[in-house]
Amino acid sequence: MVHILLEICTDQNNMRTFRIIAHTADVRVKVAASSLEELFTVSLEGMNQILKRNFCKRKNGLPSTIHQIEISSADTTALLIDFLSEALTLSHIHGAIFCQVEFAELAAHSLTANLLGTQVKSFDEDIKAVSYHEAEIERNSRGNLQTNLVFDI
Amino acid sequence: MIDRHVLRRVSPVLWEIPQTHRADMRVPARIFASEKMLNEVFRDRSLGQLINVSTLPGILKAALVMPDVHEGYGFPIGGVAAMSYPDGVISPGGIGYDINCGVRLLRSSLTFDDVNHRQGLLASRLFQEIPSGVGHGGILKLFDRQLDEVLAKGALWMVEQGYGRDEDLSHLESKGSLENADHHVVSDHAKQRGKDQLGTIGAGNHFVEVDRIVEIFDGRMASSFGLSLNQIVVLVHCGSRGLGHQVATDYIRIMLNALAKYNITLPDRELACAPLSSREGTDYFNAMAAAANFAWANRQLITWEVRNVWQELFSESLTTLYDVAHNIAKIEEHDIDGEVKKVIVHRKGATRAFGPAHSELIAEYRETGQPVIIPGSMGTASYVLAGTTEGMKESFGSSCHGAGRRMSRHQAKRQVSGKTLKVNLEEQGVFIQAGSIKGLAEEAPLAYKDIHDVVDVVVEAGIAKKVARLKPVVVIKG
Repeated sequence: MVHILLEICTDQNNMRTFRIIAHTADVRVKVAASSLEELFTVSLEGMNQILKRNFCKRKNGLPSTIHQIEISSADTTALLIDFLSEALTLSHIHGAIFCQVEFAELAAHSLTANLLGTQVKSFDEDIKAVSYHEAEIERNSRGNLQTNLVFDI
Repeated sequence: MIDRHVLRRVSPVLWEIPQTHRADMRVPARIFASEKMLNEVFRDRSLGQLINVSTLPGILKAALVMPDVHEGYGFPIGGVAAMSYPDGVISPGGIGYDINCGVRLLRSSLTFDDVNHRQGLLASRLFQEIPSGVGHGGILKLFDRQLDEVLAKGALWMVEQGYGRDEDLSHLESKGSLENADHHVVSDHAKQRGKDQLGTIGAGNHFVEVDRIVEIFDGRMASSFGLSLNQIVVLVHCGSRGLGHQVATDYIRIMLNALAKYNITLPDRELACAPLSSREGTDYFNAMAAAANFAWANRQLITWEVRNVWQELFSESLTTLYDVAHNIAKIEEHDIDGEVKKVIVHRKGATRAFGPAHSELIAEYRETGQPVIIPGSMGTASYVLAGTTEGMKESFGSSCHGAGRRMSRHQAKRQVSGKTLKVNLEEQGVFIQAGSIKGLAEEAPLAYKDIHDVVDVVVEAGIAKKVARLKPVVVIKG
């Protein structure tokens, strides 16, 4: 099993990370954050990093496309996967990467948010779907929320 | 992880985990594999996934995996499961995200000598003609009404528009069209993702390949299939693209939210399911059928694209041997404890392999059994097999689908350089045109199981017979 450390972003009060890890047919990302909103945000970053490497780190100008999304799910882990699925679907339909998310509401089973994106000419990787495989949000030993995410490519 | 001592050897190529192994198992779990291949099976979580499959409501006889098994989502890849009809569950995870990923074999009247020294040109023209790679759209831009017609009619729609012949249709599994398809239960998201993707192969392990028949195992059967030594054939391997992926995503979510309604608890979310007779189950089955039709239409349009190149370079056309789906659910009749019953058969990374005399086969294949096309990993070999009567009893008329991955994409890229691989394959006479050198490395032969071992197991198990072995000459990838 090979681990690639892609990014660590830390400050005194807030730690959010994602790592991309090998998986037999697909890509697995391990994400961690101190809050639910941060977890959702860094998960989106991880997915975008697969879709188009380092795109969201660049200065891409003002967002060219904004979409409001509303999702309800059976539990919080499912909500995270459904959120990423929606972002992925919109990426495919609009040919865009949604680097920013603004949550109007984020609860255990539902969310309302705006996804702000920039059009791209191509993706680096064709993510077919965000699976529920291995996804389970739990607190780690540091008290942060973490989960694995597995993307079907 | 499963302990090896849990397995009971039924035959040299069939192993069983008894139903008593875990309290929630409803049927045994059975693995088609040689003893040598078992070590690889234990390397990932596919056996645990197979045991989970055996817990699904309505499952009958046994949960099965083929020898190309590897870990998937919910169901393992290579999995076959039959549920009682109509109240047994249907599970999108038992079909996969790429609904009707499958493979078609086209026959030419050419031999290897006719294409030798022209492989580079052939590779280049096929790569130009067939859109491939991440995010590349196809030649058809459909209106919504037209896409709905494609979802309803599948390959037939393409033939009606002039992108094929009537005889193509009779040589496709289910004639390239499932009647229960319903575009009304396919989401707008799915239609948006798929509407400009017809005629494209995508990326990953999908390809168009020109092959040479290098070995004939059964002359009579090969002759019935129109195959001969040194003949040039073409394989098309792809699926339902973004439309199918979205249908699966949509319905896994719908079914997860409906589990409580049907008192279903699951060991794995990706096994999300609902009774086929329920609204959710029926809608999924009909949406799945629509996505399957999209995939058959896709392979039909790619066939037309290949035929264009063939006509240009060789002034001849290609005929269809057969087209098989390896991610699909079907309502079929099978023997269950001595009684013929309707069942819902899930095949995920497994190919239908109906035996001789089956009523669904066209007259041409009633004596031989259904052609079964098994693509190997890039640069290795592929096989044409035939379904058997024994297979109808042992595996719900199902066979393997390919070589099966044994290594992650990342590990493959670390061990193999795409450029070096391309050069090595060309030295072996395999000309490759790929949109992504990185993608090429991910699909290196070492990332897959040995196709010969996989096929030998299904043959020894009696669920298919060898007809011909193919070697690639030209490979087109995204």
